[in-house]
Order: sequence, then structure tokens, then C-alpha cells
Amino acid sequence: MSRAARLSPYLYLVPALVPLGVWSYYPLLFLIDLSLHRLDATSPVPTWVGLANYRELLTAPLFWRVLLNTALYTTLTVPLSIGLGLALAVLLNQGLWGARFFRTLFYTPVVLPTVAGATVALWIFNSNYGLANHLLARAGYAPVAWLTDSGVALWTIAGVGVWKTFGYFMLVYLAALQALPQTVLEAARLDGARPWDRFWSITWPLLRPTTWFVTVIALILSFQAFDFINIMTQGGPSNATNVLVFYIYQHGFQYFRLGFASAIAVVMFVLVYGLSGLLSAWFSR
Amino acid sequence: MTAAVRRAASYLVLLAVTTVVAMPMYWLVVSALKRSDEIFTATPRWLPSGLEWRNFVRAWQGASFGRYFINSILVVLAILVLQLATSSLAAFALARRRFAGRGVILLAVIGALIIPIQVTFLANFITLKNLGWLDSYWALVAPFTASAFGTFLLRQAFLAVPDALEDAARLDRCAGLGFLWHFLLPLARPTVLAFTLVALVAHWNDYFWPLIVTNRDEIRTLPIGLAMFVSQEVTTDWNLLMAATLFVAAPMLIVFFVTQRYFIRSHMHAGLKR
Repeated sequence: MSRAARLSPYLYLVPALVPLGVWSYYPLLFLIDLSLHRLDATSPVPTWVGLANYRELLTAPLFWRVLLNTALYTTLTVPLSIGLGLALAVLLNQGLWGARFFRTLFYTPVVLPTVAGATVALWIFNSNYGLANHLLARAGYAPVAWLTDSGVALWTIAGVGVWKTFGYFMLVYLAALQALPQTVLEAARLDGARPWDRFWSITWPLLRPTTWFVTVIALILSFQAFDFINIMTQGGPSNATNVLVFYIYQHGFQYFRLGFASAIAVVMFVLVYGLSGLLSAWFSR
Repeated sequence: MTAAVRRAASYLVLLAVTTVVAMPMYWLVVSALKRSDEIFTATPRWLPSGLEWRNFVRAWQGASFGRYFINSILVVLAILVLQLATSSLAAFALARRRFAGRGVILLAVIGALIIPIQVTFLANFITLKNLGWLDSYWALVAPFTASAFGTFLLRQAFLAVPDALEDAARLDRCAGLGFLWHFLLPLARPTVLAFTLVALVAHWNDYFWPLIVTNRDEIRTLPIGLAMFVSQEVTTDWNLLMAATLFVAAPMLIVFFVTQRYFIRSHMHAGLKR
């Protein structure tokens, strides 16, 4: 083989590998380095501070509040969006009339810009004139401060998050259901197994790899929540919707404490991938 | 439970979900067409008294939406062209060539798939600042020059093409990049389209990255422009805000309705390749 032919694969790879290195891998190292420095308004040149940022982070009560908020958001959105996605995929896989229409409609929020979703949600959950409170009033209930009550706001944001993403999980499950070996399901049907039993003893175990995939994706997505929060509540009221990415953004771009913000980002990265790793280990038992 | 009862129950669930999904969209459209005095009413008005098309004109003029549109189109176009070029070249090498280090490089590409921008943005912000690229089109495009997802997806598609075809093409003096261009890409057309659509929607809708790197109004993209418009107007003209929301969302909704089957295909990959 000529020298040119031996070299050519590397040449084809350079245009993709260089940007991936510069914008995905290098930042991870850079973040770790930054997190060990002080870099803010009072110290515009990075000064080495060792683990001081981490120490400060772990002793900040707000950090634990933010972790708790993130955990609640994850606990609400992951099972809900996946469960809804799976249930609808199963319903739509029965060959019902109109299934294509429902499939398209349920996927529409996924392609809607988050800013558009957030704007509509702001209007619907407006305390005084929003549709949500109008409907509650009509049903005889007192109005709810959807975005300004610190006990409710995160639930509202989670609800909007599920609304926006369950269609994606539905489609992934639908694709998986259509790829299942039909012979097994047919055999169970002929044996007289009822639909509910067929689902739990055959379909559900066969869907395990898909469930693993969507759970990891949903987990990662839930840790990335930011858009709805920044537009609808700015982390408020009194930090009730302050989650990890917003916390990083706040320290990096509102308080300009880049070293401290980097430490949060490193912790978030370790947390997300630690959890994904645990989940994967559990699924591949 | 008989089949008929089961079917009725299925439709009941589907209708309930339809209500929850469609209601906000309906309210968006109806609010966008209402007069200002029909917005703040004691009971909701399900239909506007007339169609107030002027809302769209007024919203359009309320901020530099023309400029945002042009910026969004330029940025997304640049990203798509770059990602398609870099991804297909890399996928070509990874799928069709044997060379030292291929396995490691493939792993590195898959690894990059799971490094989210929500983690790396601080570091990338500082890099761009040091380069003097903040607040420019470069900042909006450069971090998305390559796509791990696109590279991976195209590699899978290129793997499916039989070697015999490449040998035959080589006899006809069509090898290397010629083979990629004349054979692989046309054969992988559905995958190319699926990836293009997913990337198009992701970058057209992207709010997070432009928020980080833009400050000047002249280079803002649509999502940022809309978010700014909302934060300025809030509590007043919901009909105008809804009209603006509609024309920001409309392009992707149209693309989606026209090209649905390719979207669905992109998820087939996600679901099956694990």
C-alpha cells in the first residue's frame, strides 16, 4: 500500500477529531484545572487555591438545596416521561385507527423550541389570568401560584419538562416494539395468555435494553434542565427551582466566579456519569 | 376484558393525553389571534371574536426579528454543512478503512457523545474569550464543527454497504472520496436526512449556547431574541408574545410535519443500535 493510502484515513478523521478534542475533551481537563483556581472579579488572573472551591461548595447550604432540587426534578421527570412514553407506545402499537395522528401529535412538543414552550407555559401558568387557574376555578378549586409558590414551582417546571420530552421516549419504545420478534408474541397469544400477562412476562423483559437506554438518556436530560427554569423562574422563588446547571450559570455568568462554577461543573459531571454507570451496572446484572 | 372494552379504554387514555398535549398549542394559537382586550378576561375565551392578524406584524416589529431569523438561518446552515462534511469524512474512515488506532478513535467519538455542553460551557466560554471570538458568529458555530452523533450514525450506515461494491467501484477508477461521494452518501441518504433533521431542530431551537456567548442584539438568534422579547414585554401583551412564539416555532413545526418519517427513522437507530 502506498504511503498516501496509509495516511488517508487519518486525514479523513482530522476535521472531526480536532473539534471534538478542542470543544469536548479539552474542556473537561480545563474545567478540572479551573476548579483548582480562583478566577473572579477580585482575582482576574487564575490563582492556585487547591481544593478550596470544593471545600466551599460542600459547606454551602445552597449547594445541598440545589442537589435536592435536582434530585426531586430527576425523580419526577425520569419515571413519568418514560412511563408515559412506554404506555403510549404500547397503546399505539395495537394498530388502532388514528395511531399515526396520535404519534405525530405527541411528538410535536419535542420539536418545539424550549423557548416557545416556556413562553406558552408562562402564559398558561400566569397566576391571575392563566388558563390553568381559569380551569381550576371552573372546577371549584382555589387558584394556585404555579410559579411563585416555592412548594409548587419545581413541580410545575417538571410537568412542563415531561410534556416536552415524553414523545421522544414514546417514539424510541415504539421503534423497539416494532422490532420485537413477532413469533414469540404470537405463540403466547395462541397459548391463551392474556394481554396484561403477555406484556409483563414477554414484552417488558424483551424491552430491557431499550429501557436501559431511555433511562440513561432521561437521567442525563434531567440533569441538564435549564431552559425552562431560566425563562420561567430564574431559579426562584427563593431558590426553589435552582438546579445544578442553573447554579453553575449563576456563579459563572452572574457572579463571575468562574473557578467556583467550574468546581460545580466537575461535581455535576462526576454525579451524572457515576449515576449512569450505576444504572448501567444494575441493568446488565 | 374484551377487545371492545380494551379498545375503548385505549382511546380514552389517548384522548386524555391529547387534551394535555394539544391544549397549550391551541391556547398559543388562539391567544396569538386575540385582541388585547380579550386577553385578560374573567373567564377564558375559547375563540377570539375576530382574527387579529395585525398581532403578527406588531410582534415582528417589536424586536429585530428579521435580523434574528437571518442569524438563525446563517448559523444553522453553517453548522449543518460543517457537521455533514466532517462527520461523513470521519465515518468513511471509521467504517471502510483499516488502520492503526481505529478502535480507540471510535471509542473517543462515542465518548464525546456523552459530554454535554451543560458541563463544558464554562471552559468553552473562556477558550472563546481568549480567542476574542465571543459575541461573533464564530462563537455560535465553532463548537459545533463536528458531531459525534453524526459520525456514529453515518458510520453505522456506511458499514452496511458491501465491500464488493467498493471493489467494483475501484475497478471503474472510483475510489476514496469519489466512492464516498458517488456511492456511500447516496446509499445512506435516509440516514443523512435523519441526522440533518435532528441537527437542524437541535440547533434552530438551541437557547443555551447562544445565551452564553452572545450579548449584541445584531448577532442574536431567534430563541434568544424571543426570550429577550418575553422578558421585556412580560405581564402586558400576551397576544403579541404568543404571535412571536408562533413565528419562532413555525419553521420547525412545518419541517417536522413534512418530514416525519425521517424523524421517526432517526429514533429507530437510537432504539435498535444498543
